Formats: sequence, C-alpha cells, structure tokens
Amino acid sequence: MRNEVVSIAQPSVEKIPVCAGSDAQVRLRLSDISKDFAGVSALSQVSVTFFAGEVHAVLGENGAGKSTLMNIIAGALRPDQGTITFEGETVGQMSPEVAASLGIAICYQHPNLLDDLSVLENLQVALPRRLFAGKPAEATARSILANVGLDIPLSERGDKLTIAQKQLLEVAKALAVRPKVLILDEPTASLDQDATELLFRRVHEAVEAGTSIIYITHRMAEVRQIAHRVTVLRDGRVRGGGTVDEVSDADLLAMIVGRTLGSTFPPKSARAAGAVCLDVRALRGTRFRDVSFEAASGTILGVAGVSGNGQSELMRALAGLEPFDGEIALNGRKVGRQELLRRAAFMPADRHAEGIAGSLSVRENAAAGALGRMGTLGVMSRRRELGMIDEIFDVLAVKAPGLESTIVALSGGNQQKVVMARALLSGPELIIADEPTQGVDVGARSEIYRILRKAADDGTAVIVNSSDAAELEGLCDKVIVLSRGRVVETLAGDDITETRIVGAAVGALTHFHETDQAAWKLSGGSRWRRMLEADNAPAIPLILVTILLALLGVSYNPHYLSAFNVSNVLQLTTTLGFIALGQTVAMLLGGIDLSVGPLSGFLVVVASFFINTGHPAGMFAAGFLLIVVGAATVGLVNGGLIRFANFTPIAATLAMYIGLQGASFLLRGGPGGYIDAGVVSALSVQIGPIPIAFLVMCVFAVGSEYLLRRSRLGWRLRAVGSDEFASRRIGLRVDRIFILGYLASALFTALGAIMLMAQIGVGDPQQGVSYTLESITAVVLGGTSLRGGRGTFIGTAIGALLLMEVLNVVSFLGMSQTWQYVFQGMLVLSSALIYATARGRGGRGSKLA
Amino acid sequence: MVCATAVLFVVCFVFAPSSVATGALAGSLPFAAILAIVGLGQMLVVQQGGFDLSVAGGVSLAVVIATHLPAGHDSALLPAVVAAFVCTALAGACNGLMVGFLRLNAIVATIGTNALLYGAIFAISGGVPEATTNLLAAIATDSVFGLENTVWFALLILLLVLFVVKKTVIGRRFELIGANPLAARAMGLKVRRHQAMAYVFAQLLYCVAGILLAGITAQPTAYQGDSLLLPSVAVVVLAGTSLLGGRGYPVSTVIAALFLNQLSQFALAVGVPYSAQTIIQALALGFGIAVYSLRWPARPLQINKSKDPEERDELVAS
Repeated sequence: MRNEVVSIAQPSVEKIPVCAGSDAQVRLRLSDISKDFAGVSALSQVSVTFFAGEVHAVLGENGAGKSTLMNIIAGALRPDQGTITFEGETVGQMSPEVAASLGIAICYQHPNLLDDLSVLENLQVALPRRLFAGKPAEATARSILANVGLDIPLSERGDKLTIAQKQLLEVAKALAVRPKVLILDEPTASLDQDATELLFRRVHEAVEAGTSIIYITHRMAEVRQIAHRVTVLRDGRVRGGGTVDEVSDADLLAMIVGRTLGSTFPPKSARAAGAVCLDVRALRGTRFRDVSFEAASGTILGVAGVSGNGQSELMRALAGLEPFDGEIALNGRKVGRQELLRRAAFMPADRHAEGIAGSLSVRENAAAGALGRMGTLGVMSRRRELGMIDEIFDVLAVKAPGLESTIVALSGGNQQKVVMARALLSGPELIIADEPTQGVDVGARSEIYRILRKAADDGTAVIVNSSDAAELEGLCDKVIVLSRGRVVETLAGDDITETRIVGAAVGALTHFHETDQAAWKLSGGSRWRRMLEADNAPAIPLILVTILLALLGVSYNPHYLSAFNVSNVLQLTTTLGFIALGQTVAMLLGGIDLSVGPLSGFLVVVASFFINTGHPAGMFAAGFLLIVVGAATVGLVNGGLIRFANFTPIAATLAMYIGLQGASFLLRGGPGGYIDAGVVSALSVQIGPIPIAFLVMCVFAVGSEYLLRRSRLGWRLRAVGSDEFASRRIGLRVDRIFILGYLASALFTALGAIMLMAQIGVGDPQQGVSYTLESITAVVLGGTSLRGGRGTFIGTAIGALLLMEVLNVVSFLGMSQTWQYVFQGMLVLSSALIYATARGRGGRGSKLA
Repeated sequence: MVCATAVLFVVCFVFAPSSVATGALAGSLPFAAILAIVGLGQMLVVQQGGFDLSVAGGVSLAVVIATHLPAGHDSALLPAVVAAFVCTALAGACNGLMVGFLRLNAIVATIGTNALLYGAIFAISGGVPEATTNLLAAIATDSVFGLENTVWFALLILLLVLFVVKKTVIGRRFELIGANPLAARAMGLKVRRHQAMAYVFAQLLYCVAGILLAGITAQPTAYQGDSLLLPSVAVVVLAGTSLLGGRGYPVSTVIAALFLNQLSQFALAVGVPYSAQTIIQALALGFGIAVYSLRWPARPLQINKSKDPEERDELVAS
C-alpha cells in the first residue's frame, strides 16, 4: 500500500449555498441526548439539528462521542435520555429497522461486507428487494457500482476486495436506497485522491437531491471542502459549531483540543537521552510505510494520529506480531520477528481479546510472562511466584480483592495494571503500549502514566500509541505523528503540545494511494480463477474421483456395475445424502449437528410403532407426521439451546445425541416392529438400477444449491455463517436464521430417516448412530468449510456417493475391512488438507489488504 | 461436582444400598477409573479449545495391541505395551500436526485419524477378540489395600496430570494458551506447539486406559473403545472445563467419571433400563453445561476486532 502527500486540489465541484437557516427544512433533530456506558458518560445533553440538503460535519477526537451519536441515530444504540425528531415527528424508539424505514442509511468506517459472499450477493442481501424488481439483478448491481466508480466483477468474493473497494461498495449500498439521511463515518479513510473526489461528487449530488448528510471526520480540510455546517464534540458534549464559512480553522482546533484530563503526569525524563534503544529504518507493513525513528533508552516515545492511520499496525510490527519490511535494531543489533516477540513486551489495545486470559486468576495472568523465572527446572515455585507478584503489585499499586479472584472481576484500570505487571516481570528490553489508558477510569490513568515513566527510568525504551493527544503531550519525550501510514511530523521537547499534534494529524493531506495495490489484487481476476474458487468447484474433481473408482471396480470385477450393486450403493447413498444435506446447513452456519445420527435412528423407532402391516392408512399418516414433528422439535430445541441458552453447537447437539439415543432405547429395548412391506417397496421403487428416492435426493441437493446461491434465504444463511456481527448490522435476524438452520438440518434428517426405515425395515434402537460421523465425513469431502459461510449441497451429495462407493469397492475387491477404514481416513484427511490449503492462500492474501 | 457426587452416593445408600455394597463398588470402580483416565486425556484437548473424536480408535488400538501381539504369552507383553505407546503417540502426533500446525478443524482431523486407527485395529485383530494375558490381567486386577490396581493407576495418573498442568512451567503455559491463544501469542509463547502436544498426551492417556481395559476384560473386543467417546466428553464438560478452552479441572473430571459410573450403577440397582440411564446422563450433561454457560457468559462481540475464530486462527498462525 502506497500513500502520498499530495497538494490539495481545491474542490472541483462548487458547493451548494447554505440554505437560509430558518426556512430550511429540518430533517432530523436530536434534543438533549445522553448516553452512559457502565457509569461512564459518553454523551451528555447533546442537541444537534440536521437540515435537508446539507452536509453537516461532526468533528472531534477519538472518544469524543461521535460514534456513539451516530449509532444512536442509526438505532444501533438507545439513548438514556433525550428525544429524536424526524421531519417534525418524535421517534419513540429508534431501532435499525425503524431507521431504515425512515430512510436513514449509515455507512460504517469498517465496511459491513460479507467476505464469503460475492459482490452481487452482498448487494442483494443488504438492499431491499424493490431495488432489484423489474430488471436483471446484474444490471441493477452494475449501475449501483458505477455510481461510485467501482469496476469490479460482480462474482468476485468479498474477501478479494481491497479496503478501498470495500469502502466504496459500502457507500454505494448506502446511496442506492436514496436515503433521506446518510451518515458517512470517515468514508475517505482509505481512499486515494481520485476515489475521494468521486465520492465528494456523489455526496454533492445526493445533497442536491435533498439528502441530509452527516459526515464524520477528523480532517479539517475535508470539512472545508464539502461541509456546509459543522458541529464539534469533545468529551461527549457539543463544544461549538456553525456554518463552515463562519468558523476559522483556529477556532475549530480550539474546540477539538483541550480535553479535561483530570489526571496528572509524572515529570518527564530529566536526563539527557541515553543510548539509542530502538532504531527503526524505512519500516513498511500492512498499513504503514517509510516509517523511520529512533527511541532512546530511558525515554517514552509517543505515536500519535487519528486512529486507523497505521499506528496499531506499526505497534504490532514492533512487537513482532505482524510481518514487516525494513530494519528494526534493538540495542544496536538487527532483530527479526521471533526475537522481537521474545524481547519486547506488548500491551495490546484490546485488553480482553489479547491482553488477559479472562477465565484465569489475577495471579495466573500476572505470572504469565515470567513463568520461566519463577520455577526451578521447569517446576513452579509457589513461594517465588507469590514473592515476585507481591513485589510488583506493591510497586504498581494494583488493587485486587485477592490473587486468586478472576481477573475480569477487576476494574479496567487494575486489569491494565496486571497486564503491565506481567510485562515488567518478563524483563523486557522494550515496552510497547498500544492505547494503554483505553477503557481505564480517570483515577487509574495517572498511575499508569507513572508506571510507564518508571519503566522508562529503569532503562528500557517505552513506545506508547495513543489517539489522545493531550495524553501524549503530558507523557512523552518525543512524539511521531502518523497520517495514512506515514510519519508526517516528529515533535520533541517543548514542541510536544496537543495543538501541534492534533494540528499535524487533522491537517495532514495525505491520501492512501491504492491503485497499484488494486491492480495487483485483481490481476489474476480471470473468470477461470473465480470458477476455481467457487464454493461448488469441488464437485468436478469429486465426480472424476467417483468415476475413476468405479472404473477401478469394473476392471477388477465386471459385476461391479451390475444393476444390483449399483442400486445397492445408490440406496445407501440416498440415506446418507439426506442426512448429510442437513449437516451441510449446520456447517454453513459455522456450527455442527452431532445429533443427526441418533435422530435418524430415533425417528425410525418411532415410525416402527405406526407403519406396520395391518395398520390402517391413518396410522401410516400418523407415523410419517410424527417423523416430521419429532424432527422439527429436535431441530428447534438444538437451535434454541445454541442461540438462547448459550450452549456451543457441540455441547447442545451432544446432549441431544445422548438423549435421543436413550429415548430410542426407552421405546424399544431391541429390534422390533416390522415396517410394512408395501411402504418399504414403495420407497425402494427403481427406474432401471436407479432408485427413485436417489433421484429425489439429487433434486433436493440441486434445489437447495439453487436456493443457497439465488434466494434471499440462501444469502442470509451464508451471511450469518460468514460473519454474524456484520449480518446483524445489515439488519438480518441472526437468531431466527440460526434456529431455522438447525430446523432444516433436522428436517433433512427426517427424510434420511424415512429412507433408513426402508433400508433396515425394522425399529432398531442401535441403528442410525453412525450417520453422525458419516455425514460429517461426506460434508467435508464435498468441500463445505467448517468455518461457515462457504459450502455446497451438490458437493455434499457427491461426497456421500463417493464415501459409499469407497466402502463398496473395498468389499467388492475382496479387501479386508482394514482398507475400508484406511481409505475413509485418507479421504477425509487429504480432502480437508487440500481444501484448507486452497482456501488458506486466499484468506492470507486478503489479510494483507 | 463433588456435592452432586456426594448427594448421589447418599441417595444410592438410602434407595439402592446394593449399588454401594462393597462388591458392586469393587466391580464397577475399575470401569470408572478407565473412564477417568480417558476423560483426563480428552480434558487436555478440550483445554486447547479442541475436540478429540479419536478416543475410540486410540483406546481400541491399545486394547488389540496389548492382547493380539502377545497372544496369551506373558513374555511378549512388555514389547506389546511399548508398541501400543508408540502407535498411539504417532496417532496423537498426526492429530497435533493437523490441528496445531496445519490448522485443520479438530473434528475433521480426529475423525480422519480415528478411521486410520480403526484400519490399524483391523489389520492387527481382523476384528476378532483375543484373550488377555495372565500377567496383564494380574497387573490390572490385583488388589492393593482393597482397591484394584486399575484404580490406583487412575489415581496415579490424576496426580501426574495435576502436577504437570498445575505445578510446572509447561503446564501453566498450556492453560494460558488454552484460555486465550491470542494473548499467549502476544506474549511470544509457542501456541501451536502446545496445542499439538495436547493431542499427543491425550493419546498416551488413551493408551494407558486401553491397556488397563484389556487387563480388566477377559476377552476384549476390537471395538472396546467405542463406548468411551461420548462419556469422555461428558465427564470433561460436567467437570466444568469450557469447550471453548482454558482452565482444566482434573480432580473434578475424575469425580465426574465416578459420578457417571455411579449413576449407571444406581439406575441398574433400582431396575431402570439402559435407555433411561442414557437419558439421565443426557440431562445431567445438559444441566452441567447450562450451569457453566450461565456462570461464564460468552464474551460480548468485539466491535471491529478479530471477529471470528477464523481470524483468530490466522492471527495465531501468523
């Protein structure tokens, strides 16, 4: 990724004159909005009015409350107090659905794009149906994309797009619904200049059409370029604003900075800077480039900038967690990633995800970095462990109810202190603190500053990334400011002031320059590659293997393709196929259904009480009805346990597995209840050697595949399996889709059970169980990913056929049962490895974007 | 778990004294001991957020190696035991390689390994049972202080697991990696290696269980391990080890094995059919999971952060 400092071109489009205040139409009014998060005020008494046909910029530092405000307007959060008025009418309770129906569209900074769906499917799943009515979907989609100048193949998968392309797609989605209010959250953060100008033209067009645009940004230049009105937030309060023409840059900067910190800083390093501890030369990584700086021992170096400009990635590279090009020298010696991992201590910004092990105790967390030093010959010394922890806790003033309480019981500040204690105990040569005071109460902040300063005084270099400029002003001996991945300013000594830092960050005119990267990303963008990467691509090699195996069978024994043997294999495939289709649904959702095997057995046992010779037709109907009802109940219970009782899919369906097995034995102690021969033969009718039921199974597989690719239901299923969080944000009812998925899994199993009934002809509590593992095997063979979002029903059906064929060939060739197992095992492992390798590469590629 | 088990024993004492009679206990305890050993192995894997379906293959393979290779001759027992350990360790290494290093889904990898193990089982046994050697039977079933050796073995292994997991540097790192692999990675720990080791040690424990099982059964079948798969997961979950990984509870796992075993004994003594026993087990399991999942609600979704296991995997893998 390359970015360039460009001289700013004056907006190529004329700004529309501001409507005279009084007679302009008020589109949206927020009055006295307040919102608390766990006692911390994020917004207080915020009142803003947004007019139709205007761009209203909302400015403020990180944590000023901009995102909270935006989420309240979009209905993603509920305000504690205050009212929202839309076109003169008070909105009782804003929700994403209400917001959408009012015509409020939001464009998040982190695009809500589903990686496993194609561009077209992403548009179709997120946009209302009416947009696609009357015209071919492709034509509609193309015009939506052309509107923002995006030229990408519609069948391209989401994870192949660059961040800029994703962001433009997000804007395109928002514009497509012709919203009355459009919220843009830092839409230009990763756009190059051309794309930015195009975006601004679209914004102007939308404004001319009467849309009210809420434009969230950190960049004053952009405010000047497109906004009519501006509001500045700081500490969750409105600090000022007005029409853009009336406020000067200096006024705006004064409103942005000057956060009340309420915490004190330790005195800065008095010593002359020591030897260079960390020397970084021309470092380049995922979102930064050409970064060079030196950090001396005994000093604190700050990394500043608007968040999302490459700072976190730089910190991670310095900690050895992300790959980088360029040179890093630690205490005079060039080091690689492994060494950085070992010698640098990293304090991550996302404490819960990467900093602490939430289920472990305070002691275990604190000791984690220095376990080697707390033991003798690999055996822990409790005395030494407690001694070292007590000592460091005294120094850091950690307040914990006890060393054995879980760490999540501590306040954010104390959790962070434990992370620091762990870092210090490991005896690092370099400390890297990413947003060290994020989520920490004001009181604990000064103590964290004191600890960082003390660590520096003890001789290590400390690198602190913070989006809070005031904090860096108070804490650091030297500050580098990053904008779009480049160092735009280096400040030292008295030059380190909040105003200078923020000025450098918001005044920078750098753009990400992504065109070369985009070209690289799509260079292999041929139709062929996309076909090879399609979800149902495994079908072709699988069919080839199936045919080869059949030829092998025939060459050894001509009877292999006899009508009897073929129909036998296909009968068995039908049963497994139906059950495996159900398993595919669960796996598309990223889950698993272990209960399918015992469920099929249980349903046969149930049926064996009704569908017997001599019973009236009504009893038969009751039997089939019970099969369906029983399966539906089981599916709903599975889904309910997973979504509402917090069970993992494995746990829920395992409990169901054992329970169903028991229920089968409860109903029948052993085999009994012969199924009516008429029903059995009706289910086994054949055309030539091919059972009709097998054809029905194929129709189901193809039909499900069609629904999966072409229907709203299918897109939703894959969307939820791909990314639950993003699906929720585009307004999908995630819980309902999950439960429907497990219901579908159970209903497919019911079809399988009907075939199983014909196959064994008797109610036997011991039958069916093995279908759980076999169905998983068939699905894996078919090429469905266990991570969810990607899969194919057709592949599953072929996988089932291949599995049954392998078992059959082995016995037909007179090989021992050993080979049945060996072939089966090799098939599963090799196919899993092949699919993982094929997909792994694509996945890694997108991570680099 | 301790309370539940104590209550169960009191209930047994009151309603079905025959199930806690010395004879019944002595007869069923070795089976509880074997379940306990298998459960401890499964626990190691679950601690790393994994899931081991190759339990059945590992146990059964140890059973057939320990019976078929000596074929009744005591002198051949030692080489057979060594062979069993080597084979299962290889199976564990195969699992560990695929799950830890190649990042395959644990369920898929262990299903595949399990099939390969069954291939080996048939190659060795041809699917027919073989009588246990006298020496192995003696080792497993002789009594010391009124308890069969199998029970002592289980206790010994419990102490060993307890010591390694809770008192050594490796064990502490192991728990930490299971509890949060991303944090462990950020600390510079070798996440993949520890995850892979879990499968190897688990297989070694299955091997011990299999050999003992061969000892306490006169003519063990080739499928002897099948019935242990689900209970092994059940005892781990009942003991409170989260299926998402993290801290393990070896003592509770052993007690849970005792609990499940006693539950069956109780049901047997009061004349409840096998079916009802499994339903009771399912309910106990469901109840156990419900209690634990209420105690540790799933972490709220992290906005804008690594959103799903896939990305976590990749972060760990990178």
